[in-house]
Amino acid sequence: MSAAMGTRILALGALLIAVPLCGAAEKAPVGTFSNAACINCHVQRQPQVVADWRASDHARKTPKADCVTCHGNRHAGSLERARSDDACIACHEKLNRAVVHSYATSKHGVITRLEGNRRTWTKPLTHGNYRTPGCAYCHLHRAEHNVNRAVTAWDAFADPAETASDAARDAIQPACGECHAPRYVTEQSGSGARMTGIARMKLREARDLVDRQRGSATPEELAALEQQLAVMREHARNVRIGVGHQSPDYQWWHGHPALDGDLLRIKGQVSEVERRRALPAAAGASPRD
Amino acid sequence: MRLRHYIIVTLLTTAILVPAGYAYVYWNKSGPGAGLYSREWNPDPVHAYWDPDRFYKPVQTVQGEFKGEECIACHTSVTPGIVNDWRASRHANPGPGKQTVYCSACHGSNHQALHMPTPKICAGCHENRFTQFMDEKRYGFPGHALAMERAVDAKHFADKPKAEVASCLQCHSVATKCDSCHTRHRFSAAEARRPEACITCHSGPPHPDDDTYFASAHGKRYLADAAKQDWNKPLAKGNYTTPTCAYCHMNQGQHQVADKTIWKFGLQEVNPNTSANEVRRRAWVKLCSDCHDAKWSETKLKELDRERKDAWGKLYKAEDTLKDLRARDLLHPGAGQRPPYPMDLMEGLFPHARIGYLDGQASAFYNVSPIERDYFEMWYFANLGAYKGAAHGDSQSVARWHKTMDASLAAIEAEAHRLRARGEAEKKALGKRADPGQHWLDGEYTRYNRENN
Repeated sequence: MSAAMGTRILALGALLIAVPLCGAAEKAPVGTFSNAACINCHVQRQPQVVADWRASDHARKTPKADCVTCHGNRHAGSLERARSDDACIACHEKLNRAVVHSYATSKHGVITRLEGNRRTWTKPLTHGNYRTPGCAYCHLHRAEHNVNRAVTAWDAFADPAETASDAARDAIQPACGECHAPRYVTEQSGSGARMTGIARMKLREARDLVDRQRGSATPEELAALEQQLAVMREHARNVRIGVGHQSPDYQWWHGHPALDGDLLRIKGQVSEVERRRALPAAAGASPRD
Repeated sequence: MRLRHYIIVTLLTTAILVPAGYAYVYWNKSGPGAGLYSREWNPDPVHAYWDPDRFYKPVQTVQGEFKGEECIACHTSVTPGIVNDWRASRHANPGPGKQTVYCSACHGSNHQALHMPTPKICAGCHENRFTQFMDEKRYGFPGHALAMERAVDAKHFADKPKAEVASCLQCHSVATKCDSCHTRHRFSAAEARRPEACITCHSGPPHPDDDTYFASAHGKRYLADAAKQDWNKPLAKGNYTTPTCAYCHMNQGQHQVADKTIWKFGLQEVNPNTSANEVRRRAWVKLCSDCHDAKWSETKLKELDRERKDAWGKLYKAEDTLKDLRARDLLHPGAGQRPPYPMDLMEGLFPHARIGYLDGQASAFYNVSPIERDYFEMWYFANLGAYKGAAHGDSQSVARWHKTMDASLAAIEAEAHRLRARGEAEKKALGKRADPGQHWLDGEYTRYNRENN
């Protein structure tokens, strides 16, 4: 028995087991299903989809976003349900409002909202089938079930994370290109990367300054500096989200000028540390003390 | 004899200085950037799409002349999304007796010399709307038609790295292309009539037009009725159950938004009772009379005036506190101890901290001392939030932002008190205010900003 034949027999065996498990081969079974039941069947029918999902943050992080979370627990309407923005917003609004709000006020989001219930989500997420991209059109383009390919956790200070972020940006570009010209996509993407890079510069300037205070600042002063730095990281993240979702408001008002404010407040706090140290002990006490 | 001498000298001087002034401004505007500081900066490549008339250059990838269905044939597979969108537009379905408006009508037909449509190109067919749009310039800023000029002439725009301020143009390009409101490639008038068409730009801290409108009685009614409403109807009396942004600000589809503005941006105090503003007030009352009686509308407008007076009372107190600190050299760092105010030749000789609108504080939100930034936020965010709340009929926003202004004013006064005491202690101990430190002049971004605009 040749190896090829062996494979064929194995495949046939798998099919013989799979078909009774899943009911009729062509028709999706009716009834309600648990996540385990979904996986049990689909791991054989669409192994790549299951593998991709398993590799993604949706499967690896807690709380999990599993088949049932997005598709519901029955077959009827399960694709439409998972393609719609509501499926994503249900969780992500609670996780990070900036993500949802930046999209909702972008041109893409506004048009999606205006289409309202005229949009039925029946078509595959490809080929410019939708007038504007919803969440899944870009992040699960062509039913890509590993959401991390086109979006990644972002740490403003970590350079490897920035490389991952670049890779995610490249991965998303084919989706943009189904409506926008290649150069438009390249230029928007490049400009966005530069804008995010500048946000990181502001953040690093602040962090380096805070680091230089270790040793000379009191624990309270350091805590205040760290707190402002934490606020600043959120503002840098807003820039990145604003770039991704093409929200001018998050790139700018919730982003760059907010970072400017954080940076000068950190500088102000550092000046206060220096002022306190410059004065003799009696005069150096804060006038409020 | 002496009189004639004076006249001749004056005339000669004028004859030289006026053209020289014009020549200087012309020279300044002819740099690689745009506007008054065009010689000071280079555009980011993405600016080509926000101000195509000035910055867009065609690509050389595809050769040949194409028009009509020829464009569609290729782009159906290259960029199917925009072809789908166009197919659903009136350009593709112009109605009996009218010609289809193909890609080439707006982009040109030589693929190596394609252009992005500017308002002037749209004016080829929509001349009336274009004329109304350009006519807006005579009412001054704020408005749409002057938005790009004012953005690129802003000192902080010229000063900051261009990739950082690219997002400014995303909204300010409302002056340089029509698809800010009539999104491509559907260009739907019905959609542009709806408030959502405005909110990508009219949202966020300095202009929460979206939040204040949707929270108002008008906005709540909109949210309830929008799905049932026929948005193809003109913006005229009796066609809508509730006013939208465009119903009031672009009534009858007038393509200008500036003729009725009394309080402008809310960044300056204005006299709401000048004869010009009385004319505008009557225009508002007339518009509101589509639904409300005149007395009611007049009362509402007076309430707005009172809210503004109240806000300016608070803002002036904070400004006076800051000006007092500036006069006593207690701002820390003071002018001259921080990167210079952008684009100001005299700044090197006479460093000056900017306080208030007329002093140019709108561009002084970075590289300033924390107390100046506190005032900037009170003025630019809390004050404008209250203004939009009052203008759009959202009393909760008015209350919320006035509370914020009160808290900011108290914090600014407490901080001023602390700065005065600190300054005095230092004068006694050191003979002068302490050095604010090199970190105000140096750092990764601060250096990059100085070197890149």
